[in-house]
Amino acid sequence: MVAAGLDISSNFAIGGLGVSRQGRKLGVSPRELRLEALELALADAGLSRGDIDGHIGASSTGMFDDIRHMGLSPRFSYSMQSGGATATLSIINAVGAILTGQAEVVACSYAAAPSSAPARSAIGASLRGEERGAGAIGYGTYSYGYANMYGMVGAGAAHALHARRHMQRYGTTSLHLGAVAVQQREYASVRPGTIGYGQPITIEDHQNSRMVVDPFRLLDCCRDTDGAVVVIVTTTERARDLASTPVCVLGLGTGHNMRNWWTGDVFDLHDDIAPAKETAFGQAGITHVDVDVAALYDPFTISPIMQLEAYGFCGPGEGGPFVAAGNTRLDGVIPTNTGGGQLSGFYATGFTALVEGLWQLRGEGGATQVAGAEVALVSGHGGNGGVQNTWAHGTMVLGVDR
Amino acid sequence: MIPPILPYQVAPDDLDDPFWEGCVRHEFLVHRCAECGRAYWPASSCLDHGSASMRWEPASGTGAVFTYTVFHHAYDPRFADRIPYALAVVQLDEGPFFHSDILECDAADVHVGMRVEVVYEDVAVDLVIPHFRPIPEPERASAHE
Repeated sequence: MVAAGLDISSNFAIGGLGVSRQGRKLGVSPRELRLEALELALADAGLSRGDIDGHIGASSTGMFDDIRHMGLSPRFSYSMQSGGATATLSIINAVGAILTGQAEVVACSYAAAPSSAPARSAIGASLRGEERGAGAIGYGTYSYGYANMYGMVGAGAAHALHARRHMQRYGTTSLHLGAVAVQQREYASVRPGTIGYGQPITIEDHQNSRMVVDPFRLLDCCRDTDGAVVVIVTTTERARDLASTPVCVLGLGTGHNMRNWWTGDVFDLHDDIAPAKETAFGQAGITHVDVDVAALYDPFTISPIMQLEAYGFCGPGEGGPFVAAGNTRLDGVIPTNTGGGQLSGFYATGFTALVEGLWQLRGEGGATQVAGAEVALVSGHGGNGGVQNTWAHGTMVLGVDR
Repeated sequence: MIPPILPYQVAPDDLDDPFWEGCVRHEFLVHRCAECGRAYWPASSCLDHGSASMRWEPASGTGAVFTYTVFHHAYDPRFADRIPYALAVVQLDEGPFFHSDILECDAADVHVGMRVEVVYEDVAVDLVIPHFRPIPEPERASAHE
């Protein structure tokens, strides 16, 4: 068992947040979007470029010229990639760099423009791919290696495998999945800048949307959007001197679904949340009842359902009825994905949830602000550990500065 | 030697070469630890005994559908003519999971727990692709007899 680790609770904070335009087919390159987010984050914090002494490129590619383009002069800069877990992992690395004296102010940057990319084929080529020919699909790709030969394509199918197990074991229905889609669209419909803004949907709309990868219908799936996010991590002491409202990093946790591949539980558990929750909640000194708002990684509707169960907001198998009964609404047990999440807000991988957690604790949630929110739960998962579905998981507990 | 590239541009991992060579002989192999007998797929290190005692050994080639999805949308246009098709995770009787399509069966009839067996597709002299198909359920005693 992993030790509790250093007491990070409230010693580190997000002292600046920059969120670029987010949307479909913006036609702007990732590095221009990243620059836009950086400028916004610096202005938010009241910092200048020279104050940034560390940089972590999160979920990024093509980083060779980025620091020059951004005009930064950090003591270190590196890229990391673990899909939707990268947001949390980048914060963990930023805190670690500060703890070990490498930097005091670290910018974690995300930028991508998948909906403006000419083709998806490029993502297929990686591990063991290039040496076998252009476009070849190795075990480490989004196309899942051998499984691709049989037609296994895309993240929707990967999550559908979880959804099918959940339906089989607990009687979860398409209507339960639809309840997630409708609730999150309701949040997005009053949140300017989201893809669902001004466009609420009904459960009938969900049921009438075409089947894509059974049991997922079109409205069970998020869509790629373009955008960038920069968060500035520093000590809470330093953050208090900045222009923005500091949000404390109370707890950080990790888990990996490879563990559940070995035990045969990988399709039943969705994410390896248990160890991440234990570490992060332990550091923060909280239980799930202390969480005021949840921002859960949600590329597909089954994801919030299974995570609400894993974090303890409801019992195993109860996630569908829990959401359908309104427990994730603003006046419910645990307001969840209050900006519409990835499903109806915008898809910035793990940064969608991180941004929403920060907005809520800064009181910037607008029409879907959770009154008096002091503790936010943020999650993410992604990457593969050698076999389809063996992705990494990150949990973050954020809190207002007290 | 197996081809450097499998159908649909899939690059085989050379750790799994013995598996694909077995398929050419119509033998379905799993990677098994000689110390504890635990079976793995694809090539792995034993969680308790590392890699030294791992051997490729013949397996039953049977298992059950653990979970599945049915594609109604072709994310990759090369699969468009198969729609709707099922993609299942088969739990082999030896324990490991194996992703496969399910042949000789309507996609709508695939279900969790369905018993399946390997069936080989001879692609070339040096390439055979394993698939799975349903094992007929034992016929129930007829009420008429």
